[in-house]
Amino acid sequence: MIMPLIFPLGLPLGVTQPSLDLYDKVESLKEGSVVLLTFDYYPSTLPETEPMSYAALRQLFRKNIKVVTVTTIPLGALSVMENVVKNVAREYDKKYGTDYVNLGFKYGYQAVLLGMGRRIEDIFPMDAYNNKLETLPLMQRVKNYKDIDFIFIVSDNATVDYWVSLVNAQFGTPMGAGVTAVMAPKCYSYLQTRQMVGLLGGMKGAAEYEKLTSNPGRAMLGMDSQSIIHFAIIFFVVLGNLGYFATRKKEVSK
Amino acid sequence: MSWEFFGTTLAAFFTLSLYSFLYKDNPFYKLAEHIFAGISAGYYVGLIWHSVIKQQLWTPLFNERQYLLIIPGILGLLMFTRFFSKVSWLSRFSLAFVVGNTAGISLIRQLHGMVLPQVRSTFLNVATFSGIVMVLGVVSTLIYFYFSKEHKGAFGFVAKIGIWFIMVSFGASFGYTVMARVSLLIGRAQFLLTNWLHIIK
Repeated sequence: MIMPLIFPLGLPLGVTQPSLDLYDKVESLKEGSVVLLTFDYYPSTLPETEPMSYAALRQLFRKNIKVVTVTTIPLGALSVMENVVKNVAREYDKKYGTDYVNLGFKYGYQAVLLGMGRRIEDIFPMDAYNNKLETLPLMQRVKNYKDIDFIFIVSDNATVDYWVSLVNAQFGTPMGAGVTAVMAPKCYSYLQTRQMVGLLGGMKGAAEYEKLTSNPGRAMLGMDSQSIIHFAIIFFVVLGNLGYFATRKKEVSK
Repeated sequence: MSWEFFGTTLAAFFTLSLYSFLYKDNPFYKLAEHIFAGISAGYYVGLIWHSVIKQQLWTPLFNERQYLLIIPGILGLLMFTRFFSKVSWLSRFSLAFVVGNTAGISLIRQLHGMVLPQVRSTFLNVATFSGIVMVLGVVSTLIYFYFSKEHKGAFGFVAKIGIWFIMVSFGASFGYTVMARVSLLIGRAQFLLTNWLHIIK
């Protein structure tokens, strides 16, 4: 597992349709559109989720799209969000308050998600840095979901279900998500219902998005190791089954 | 030694301490586990105090004179009556509000946001091959979970098809779960090799 990290093999990486759909949707947004980017994940899943946030934010800033960031996760997400947003904003020379706003964290995601549909300022009277929302130029034109063109969810837990079933269902805001691999099978059903336009699943999804946005990062670097380990697992599964059938054949013949 | 290097080394130490459990339970693992639990609890309390109590109750109530917030404030305080047996019944008012509110939101959410869109999209492409597979999967799986009739004959046959669909679903979930766990291991290896040891640039 370690060797491909030090000496990358450059194994081919295909792009799946759900990742491409998400990329195309963001690409179709006009300059000056507003995207709500969520950081709904704990630090324990950073290898899968953080590369998605980096790739998404780079794509959004490259297209001069205004970004509002928020998290519904109390532990660690606030620090991760601040770190990612500051790093990428510096890369693209974006100004806080005008080009992007960090709303921070608020407890009680159901009430938060519903309340933001009525008036964001009611739920977040201040941003993550204790600035009153009314003093931030971007937030003067972003009052609720009607002013948001797209929601890009990056999540490692059930909050993605709430974004879909509360916000998309009740307010109709288009959305797409990057989720951990564990959550991906369930989230595919939201593509079927067209409640989400695209989906990134786990480190593979993150690597695909890095490839699409031409920002090779840790997810792409990790995919060689991922493939090698998967080959090893498949090999041992086949070996185990062959051993099982051989043993059973012997027992039957006895 | 810079603070950044000290922080990274500390993180590397805790990573290796936690992985030492693969050998056996040991004091390094316990130390890392207890420090994580303690810091998480402290961080959580501080965060809730700042972002909920101070920002959403104290400041708007006393600085902006939003006196309506007294009601949720009192409901919140009533929750603490559970620590005193004689007046613990008072907490039921707060709980009733929470349960009623959650049930109301969840009912609409599940029906409007989950069940109806899923049912609609299941039967939307019924004329296509994948649509037929989808309907067969949904119906046979539902029949498998219908236990008021014995799974025999044609009913049992459809229930068995349902089992196959469930197995495929479990297989897909398991495959993704393997990828997720491997990703976390790769993430830690990347951290140790890149941020700590600087072997990967």
